[in-house]
Amino acid sequence: MLKQRLIEALGADAVKTEAEDLAVYAFDAYSQGVVPAAVVLPANTREVAAAVKIAKDCGEPIIPRGAGTGLCGGAIPARGGVVFSFSRMNRVLEVDVRNRRARVQPGLINLDLSKHVAASGLFYAPDPSSQKVSTIGGNIGTNAGGPHCLSYGTTVNHILALEIVDENGDVTTTSLDDVGYDLTGVLVGSEGTLAIVCSAWVRLLRQPETVRVWLAAFDDINAASAAVTGIIGAGIIPTALEMLDRVMLPPIEAAFHAGYPTDAAAVLLIESAGFEDEMNLHENEIRRVMKENSATTWRAAKSQAERDALWAGRKGALGATGRLAPNYYIQDVVVPRTKLPQALQAVEDACAPQGIIAGNVFHAGDGNLHPLLLYDRGDPKQVAAVIEAGNEILKAAVDLGGTISGEHGIGYEKRDTLRRIFSTDDLATMSRVREVFDPRRNLNPEKIFPAGVGCAEVA
Amino acid sequence: MIATTVSDKVVPKSLDALRETLERCDREGLKVSVEGGKTLSGMGPVLPRADVSLITTSLHAILAHEYHDLTCSAQSGVRVAQLNAVLGAHGQFVPIDVPLRKKATIGGSLASGWPGPRRHMYGRARDFVIGSQVALADGTLANAGGMVVKNVSGYDMSKLYIGSFGTLAIFTQLNFKTLPLPKKRRALVAPLPEATRSRAIERIASLVVPPAAAFCVEGFGKNVDGTDDIDGRVLLYFEGTEELLERATLDTRSALGKAGVPETSIVDTGAAESLDRTIDACIVNKRGRSITYRLFGSPGAVEERAVRMRDACNRHELFTDVLFDVMNGDVFVRASERDAAHFAAKLEACHAELRELEPRCSIVAGDSAARASFEAWGAVPPAIEKMRAMKARFDPHGTLNPGRFIGGI
Repeated sequence: MLKQRLIEALGADAVKTEAEDLAVYAFDAYSQGVVPAAVVLPANTREVAAAVKIAKDCGEPIIPRGAGTGLCGGAIPARGGVVFSFSRMNRVLEVDVRNRRARVQPGLINLDLSKHVAASGLFYAPDPSSQKVSTIGGNIGTNAGGPHCLSYGTTVNHILALEIVDENGDVTTTSLDDVGYDLTGVLVGSEGTLAIVCSAWVRLLRQPETVRVWLAAFDDINAASAAVTGIIGAGIIPTALEMLDRVMLPPIEAAFHAGYPTDAAAVLLIESAGFEDEMNLHENEIRRVMKENSATTWRAAKSQAERDALWAGRKGALGATGRLAPNYYIQDVVVPRTKLPQALQAVEDACAPQGIIAGNVFHAGDGNLHPLLLYDRGDPKQVAAVIEAGNEILKAAVDLGGTISGEHGIGYEKRDTLRRIFSTDDLATMSRVREVFDPRRNLNPEKIFPAGVGCAEVA
Repeated sequence: MIATTVSDKVVPKSLDALRETLERCDREGLKVSVEGGKTLSGMGPVLPRADVSLITTSLHAILAHEYHDLTCSAQSGVRVAQLNAVLGAHGQFVPIDVPLRKKATIGGSLASGWPGPRRHMYGRARDFVIGSQVALADGTLANAGGMVVKNVSGYDMSKLYIGSFGTLAIFTQLNFKTLPLPKKRRALVAPLPEATRSRAIERIASLVVPPAAAFCVEGFGKNVDGTDDIDGRVLLYFEGTEELLERATLDTRSALGKAGVPETSIVDTGAAESLDRTIDACIVNKRGRSITYRLFGSPGAVEERAVRMRDACNRHELFTDVLFDVMNGDVFVRASERDAAHFAAKLEACHAELRELEPRCSIVAGDSAARASFEAWGAVPPAIEKMRAMKARFDPHGTLNPGRFIGGI
């Protein structure tokens, strides 16, 4: 019944129901869910709406999926259902250069948008490390960040309007230019639990006149953290301010030949973009702060190729962990910037007693840590130890005044952890929004909300 | 006595007092009008019924300024200027560009969702809110976000409350990320007659160093310049280092010169005040004889929209003052008459024509009598049913600012 109706509405080539096809969609970059009943690949908004209505009629949950690069289980079918893949809705529909905006489909790969508008001197700012494969729709779902959101902001700051399909299969639009509630702002980051995004107007930025990238190395990771605070304290917000620690530097350098020192305790990768007239001031100030904090190396990238190499190392860091261990578990927490030393110590304290090696590659300027816990999935003891250490890290971040996710989202993984930062009243208030959009909780079920938070607690 | 009550006005001195007031009103079916500094009370319709005016101005504590973390937290009754004065002591600010910022509260400003002119550069005020606490209609307190600059932990509830005109919940506390203050500010002002305006706007839009704010103004003489000058002019406002501003000045003068604007004056001392006056002008009301419309849209067609609205008003023999934001596309048109009687006689037909031309234009300033006659917000957005459902879910008894917002929400 489900299969036949979907094929009638979308065509046979847009519906997958064979076991070997479906198995792939049970996974995302975090974990495995339940094998879905079907996967649909709609070509346009009309087909999305039709498929939603069919899924609803058949009582099947609906799971929107981008590239499956999410790191918290946001795209896994927790209860089976119909997975919506947007690989056929991957186009730039319109570019408005004068008003610096573009309308894009959800399956468009993040980096492809910047490539598409580069000749017009524009770019799309959110740049998650997965940007070569992750999609704009998935980025909207998680409110994705990236190294450059330190100055440009996360995805929500760059979404101007949305076309959505709701759980009934009805199409509507939201826009920042509309008078009314900012539904756009709530939909971004809602992880597909409120509606399915079918197109988005996104803000484009002018390419900066000048980009400078510097590398600073330290013998002491606390000195590197202090340097981060020093830069911000000097009234400078670089476009990116990233830290890599002694565990991660050797494998990254071996894999990418980025030019990182392999004997340092920590490296800061700093980028500042803007006008030539301001860059000298930034460079002088940043160099002063580095010196004050005993940087052992200070180097400016002298060419585009050198800048690209430094960034290639940072953005490819996760892949390089394969040189250290068969598997890694990446955590995503945020603390106030000044609490970085304590947070890094907490990571060490959580991992060392368990015999787990943890590497750190993260957005230091935002206080957004990404500890990489290295382990072997084939060893149940290591798996248990990693889970326990991950929980300890979450707890430490909250205790330091931080939060449990900076950019990966809550998804399936952290939904029960949400209670650590929000009260029952807070969660019940959030749940009211869900009740408006998806009262039956059929859109991406079992994501974000802890088990048991529902309408009963709101009433 | 927990709250100070004067007639139907309640000015809670504490969070508990605010909660108790709300809880009682919600239980007893009393309708609550929520007020901050009352600077934007001319926006939208007149409330059809309000039993209690709940005023947040006594919740005015600045709770934290973690200047090394570039974050701060304040109660919602803190004035915008007060907050920025405190942040300024440590060389920081939050770009909340609202009219009358010395009087406007941060809660009211965010609740109004007023989108400031520097948003093309810094982002909207909403983008600086990293956390909030609200009181729901039944007095329940709910928190969202936190005190870190990056946070994707659940729905971003603050976004929902921002711009909701207090119809869903009342802000009690707002947490912001802050920015370093610019080293220097400069305003460039030039006469800009209509004949050369289009060319000038195109040049401004393509300046390599863009202004933080740029307005074309017709009229609003005393409000913007403190003079009776009502001729067209342009105000460009720059922020940055001394070197950058020198470059911007040279480039701008050259660009405007090529567009036929011979002379550009530099205002260094008082540049920020020039910007403030221009923002204030957006809501200046001539008592009983003016009404101001706002229309959002893309910057590319901003002049065209402004002229269309102005000409419609002029066809009905109303005086007009016009102000439009070159970088963001916002248009403000004030229609007025010399006396209230003539104004009232002409306004209805003018309003009808404006709404036909621009269904989404909304009223942002005007006396109650004028606003009460019309649907103030303009055409409802496509997602209005979702918004109505949201109101029903958050405020089932219709306690908070009922009828204040678009579509009668």
